[in-house]
Amino acid sequence: MRANTHFAFFDEGSKKEIRRATLKAVAIPGYQVPFASREMPIARGWGTGGLQLTLSLIGKTDVLKVIDQGADESVNAVSIKKLVQETTGVQVTDQTEEADLIQSRHRIPEIPLTKDQILVLQVPMPEPLRPVEAREYATKRMHSEDDYSGAWLMLFEQIVKYGKTATAADHPVYVNGRYVMAPSPIPRFDNPKMHQSEALILLGAGREKKIYAVPPYTAVESLAFEDYPFAVESFEGQECRLCGSAHIFLDELIDQKTGETVYQCNDTSYCMEQLNSTEKAGVENSYA
Amino acid sequence: MAIDQIHDLQQVYRKLLHSMSRPGTISSIEQETKQVDVDFGCADSFILSAMVLLDAEVTFHVLSKNRQDLIEKISDYTSARCASVKEADFILVLQEDEESDVLEAMAQCKIGNLIDPQQSATWIIESAVLSNEDALVLTGPGIETAAHLSTGQPFRFWQARDSRIKEYPMGIDMIFADGSSQIACLPRTVSAIPMEVK
Repeated sequence: MRANTHFAFFDEGSKKEIRRATLKAVAIPGYQVPFASREMPIARGWGTGGLQLTLSLIGKTDVLKVIDQGADESVNAVSIKKLVQETTGVQVTDQTEEADLIQSRHRIPEIPLTKDQILVLQVPMPEPLRPVEAREYATKRMHSEDDYSGAWLMLFEQIVKYGKTATAADHPVYVNGRYVMAPSPIPRFDNPKMHQSEALILLGAGREKKIYAVPPYTAVESLAFEDYPFAVESFEGQECRLCGSAHIFLDELIDQKTGETVYQCNDTSYCMEQLNSTEKAGVENSYA
Repeated sequence: MAIDQIHDLQQVYRKLLHSMSRPGTISSIEQETKQVDVDFGCADSFILSAMVLLDAEVTFHVLSKNRQDLIEKISDYTSARCASVKEADFILVLQEDEESDVLEAMAQCKIGNLIDPQQSATWIIESAVLSNEDALVLTGPGIETAAHLSTGQPFRFWQARDSRIKEYPMGIDMIFADGSSQIACLPRTVSAIPMEVK
């Protein structure tokens, strides 16, 4: 006999514990609230933090979108979608506008989020000070004392070595002027989207057992020096080879045949939407 | 019909989260309070807010000294344990409670410490009908410019709250629940300035 899984996989006690931690995280923006991360049917470090947040939030009428580095169809996104759908029966979507809950690995969608949406980010390394201090009790103390010299020093060292801050992703941010937070490995391009965001942003680290949050309309500033201001990745003069979009985050690829560098939208559902809208316009014109 | 521990409480949680992340926003949980078929002798929205968050892992304190029945019922329904005001994770305040008791509890409840600011008390308060009249002006994270909220609490209540949240990140978070199935929240980050002295 095979017993049915409980709604949203978790027992209600687990949900309650995650919910309490989430409310505390919202009340202390950027502070990493410890929680009893549960054993999940996917491996730790594969989005279990995000998944646990999603399962604690989700209800029967929600519409879920899961993305993995901008893609709706990559393995991590598909497995998580399957698990949530099989245990809840909710509708899933690729369209950013249609979703109530968006779980994402390492990207914030190109289409601006609204106040009725919640963005859940998967976090591998929630502690921005970990590269300079291995001990958890020491980093907790640093946070409590507002001592972020370690984070500043990391950026300073990058400037000394490379002439600029060289964080490829996960560029640390100041939340509400108090806590320095790892925004999860989103590209620097996405950091400004967190500032005064309309949607609630929740971040979950399953392996590290931490939940933290950025409430809507909260100041999120990327760490930068006066003489080395924060800059996002530049795609000046480049556009997506498929849909022609510019001013969005592009993937840099090598064309296997010609060896040329080509660019393509990183957010696949955004790219698809652009293609569909031009296709639709094309069809309408040819029939008219 | 009885309350659905899975789906109804999930809905209440989402409303709580919505209101907590957008202080001053009043959410209606009328659909869910309709399902409450036991008389707890307090607002249904109040009891549902407690049921969403309490379980055997946390403690609560009922401020009222003559509501042993409520303590027993909450323990029966949630398995949460009753504790003193200094230790409780959740402080439950009823509308009938004396102002002096509320202020005393406010001075004594836990607010966490700088290393673990989350080890603080969350207040669940049965309030007068919530509205967005400008009794209080709210500013802080979650609020675009300013929000207005009326909860019916006296001026001294807000003074007492101020004295417990001034050492941010330490502080207390509040959930207000009224008799019209509405809830609103005030996390510690939000400054609440009363517009008139009552």
